[in-house]
Amino acid sequence: MTFLIAFRSLLQHKRRTFVLGAAVAFVTVVMLTLLGIAEGMNRTLIESSTTLMSGHVNVAGFYKVTAGQAAPVVTHYKQVVEVIRQAVPELKYIAQRGRGWAKITSDGGTNKMFGLTGIDVKNEKGLAAVLKIKEGKLEDLAKPGSIMLFEDQARDLEVKVGDALTIQAPTPRGVNNTLDVTVVAIANNMGMMSQFSSFINEASLRQLYQLNDETTGALMIYMGTTDLVQLKKVEDKLREALGKSGYQILEEDPRAFFFKFENVTREAWTGQKLDITNWRDEVNFVSWTVDLMNALAFFLAFVFLSVVGIGIMIVMWISIRERTREIGTLRAIGMQRGRVMRMFLAEGFLLGVLSTTAGALFGLVLAVVINGADVTLPQGFQFILMSDHLKVVPTVAWTLVAVVFITAVITGISLLPSFIAARLKPVTAMQHVG
Amino acid sequence: MPNSIVSIRDVVKEYSLGKVVVPALRGVSLEVERGEFISIAGPSGSGKTTLLNLIGCVDTATRGTVEVAGKNTSALSERQLTQLRLDTLGFIFQSFNLVAVLTVFQNVELPLLLQNKLGSGERKKRVMELLTAVGIDTHAQHRPSELSGGQRQRVAIARALVTEPQIVLADEPTANLDSATGEAIIDLMKDLNQKKGITFIFSTHDHRVMKHADSVVRLADGKIIGKESADAAVQAALTSAAGRSPVGAH
Repeated sequence: MTFLIAFRSLLQHKRRTFVLGAAVAFVTVVMLTLLGIAEGMNRTLIESSTTLMSGHVNVAGFYKVTAGQAAPVVTHYKQVVEVIRQAVPELKYIAQRGRGWAKITSDGGTNKMFGLTGIDVKNEKGLAAVLKIKEGKLEDLAKPGSIMLFEDQARDLEVKVGDALTIQAPTPRGVNNTLDVTVVAIANNMGMMSQFSSFINEASLRQLYQLNDETTGALMIYMGTTDLVQLKKVEDKLREALGKSGYQILEEDPRAFFFKFENVTREAWTGQKLDITNWRDEVNFVSWTVDLMNALAFFLAFVFLSVVGIGIMIVMWISIRERTREIGTLRAIGMQRGRVMRMFLAEGFLLGVLSTTAGALFGLVLAVVINGADVTLPQGFQFILMSDHLKVVPTVAWTLVAVVFITAVITGISLLPSFIAARLKPVTAMQHVG
Repeated sequence: MPNSIVSIRDVVKEYSLGKVVVPALRGVSLEVERGEFISIAGPSGSGKTTLLNLIGCVDTATRGTVEVAGKNTSALSERQLTQLRLDTLGFIFQSFNLVAVLTVFQNVELPLLLQNKLGSGERKKRVMELLTAVGIDTHAQHRPSELSGGQRQRVAIARALVTEPQIVLADEPTANLDSATGEAIIDLMKDLNQKKGITFIFSTHDHRVMKHADSVVRLADGKIIGKESADAAVQAALTSAAGRSPVGAH
């Protein structure tokens, strides 16, 4: 009966309920859309990071001949692979990739620093499925002395397929080495990540760093899940197993490998230390944008809700004034204060549930429309949103979070008017004129 | 066991209007027997509604004692007073005070839902019996706004009786009704009083209503000036009215 009275009271004031409901639904749409954009960024981030520069879990490392010289390599990696396979038998596959951080100069004299990933393209089926080649052929990366760039990198270096580049990097022995390569493919950008990473023939990377066949940059382990809680357990297992096998492990440091160079070179040790990370660690330097977008969604929702909330509170005051005699009657015939309070709270709750549900449906439709319209983003937004197109990915979890959050706020806003309604003395309420 | 269902002793009720204290009742004492059909009469401002509010436990006395169904109301908490109202008292209001968004059936069912003692089937049976008794069963699914004043007051009577209370309080129950409908409502209340033994206490200043009472408590300026038979009270009311009327002065 409490909900029936609440529901019918809302229906009785159709226009008022519609205006408030529309405002709440609008807030829901805004929040869901922003969360959907954040989720789109997150997925792009996961996809691009696990394609371009990371496995789900990575076993990488630094090798230091002298205390002040570090190279991002894992020596005798096949033995490390054996330990990994025994410790984590559920893994899907392991890809070994060379890693480097080098200066690349074009024939025109333009140069740029970015990460190099050495790959054996024949064993990188996942990569071929994700990269969209704009110019040239990815398979040509099988040729020694070949490199694949992303379109922005090619534009910055002013090169096209077939042009030559010179790569310069310090070897683990501390001497600079150079290598001439040819651009064999240019791929569409993959968000912010494609600013920092490019692919090079694995043998050529070895040649650049003067590494033998037993040495690689990183062992990228693919688990079939990107869930960080699950991956954290895998990392712990690897730390324990590799430690027991006599490997030195770097302390946990959730940053991309190229951010660790400075710390590692300052430390006094020499030899090999392994570094265990997950995909999120490798993209930590850009993942703040996803967190920022999520925070923005909640912040904007909070600001809008504050405005809508004041409206709701005013309308509830009016409603309570209009229904003071009814409250008095209900109290007189034996309705306890708690029940009166629940009756008004139920109004706020129903308004919240119905409007947020409607808002969620509108939000889903809007997401379909935006994704269908294939909106191309301006350059600046492409960098921040990690995608060249606006992508809204509504999820069940975020939809529920938005519906529950907004409904809870609306119900909370109803608390004070409801409390005051419940505190009315029956005799005063029944004598109310208005 | 005393037969009084309402016992009021030396009750004073004062209202504060800023710094001014306005007395509404000045030392009222009254005993109401079980099963009585009693009217509280008096001119506007005499304290009828205040007295009913104190008996109905919706207001508290400034001084004195109010006992309802053997319970001293000043000793009860707000929650206990609400429960006492729900279980022991029924209310009929001058303006009917039905819940506009509920149907006739739901309005009558509401006190039973608050009591939460009966199952759905029993509730439905009792509500329909009462709606039939007050002659409004064919309008069970109507909203109050679709009923006439007399019909609404019948619904209010059904709502007041549905919990089988010991006392029904009615504040000017016929004031907003035409005389024929008012008569019918009083006849209905009297019939229920005689058949079910429920105590009815109603306020009125209409001598046509007053004449149906077993006894009439007459109030003036916040004091009881007499408890007398209906005939005597009607006669007194008529005399008083004639004294005030320019026609009666001749």
